[in-house]
Amino acid sequence: MAATFYAEPFLTFDLDVFVLLQARTTGLISLTPIYEALRTRGYREEQECVVIEDVPVQFLPAYNSLVEEALAEAREVDYEGVPMRVLRAEHLIAICLQSGRGKDRERVRLLREQGQLDPEYLADLLRRHKLEEKWKAWTE
Amino acid sequence: MESLDGMTDELARVFAAKEQRRKALARLPFPEKVRAVIKLQEMAATILRARGKSVKPWSASGTGL
Repeated sequence: MAATFYAEPFLTFDLDVFVLLQARTTGLISLTPIYEALRTRGYREEQECVVIEDVPVQFLPAYNSLVEEALAEAREVDYEGVPMRVLRAEHLIAICLQSGRGKDRERVRLLREQGQLDPEYLADLLRRHKLEEKWKAWTE
Repeated sequence: MESLDGMTDELARVFAAKEQRRKALARLPFPEKVRAVIKLQEMAATILRARGKSVKPWSASGTGL
């Protein structure tokens, strides 16, 4: 859904939310506290999602340094009076390159076309996360 | 006049207009894009259900719209 912030609307049925979670003493990261808090508010789990006001929301722990950086540098924007954080378009591209699925390739194309990217920021990001080769393969 | 690949001037104008529309859609405020996504979900849901896939479009009220 974040890509829709920068590009034309496209079909999606779920909403992914990246979260930073503290590891337990065992070293494991658990989404249970989030699920429990939502359950007390009456939201039910459905497969890998929690349905919040009819929207299936999937919470994903920040799983590597790229996603952690993307969260740290996310933009705070206003959505009808509610503050929300959206990943920068350059980070969305980098995450799509890392994921490497067909639909990620389509998102990269859309964001490249419509995302009003900062080319220097993107180049630095791709270099630091060793994604330049993939970028070339997908865009040349 | 037709080009080698069969593209007529009329078709070229249609494709150019489509491209302009896509750029205009990309510039919409985010809440309007969310409304557009919900419309897309409603359109797709009928087709997906016919294929046996269970999907539920978001509700505009649920998204604060």
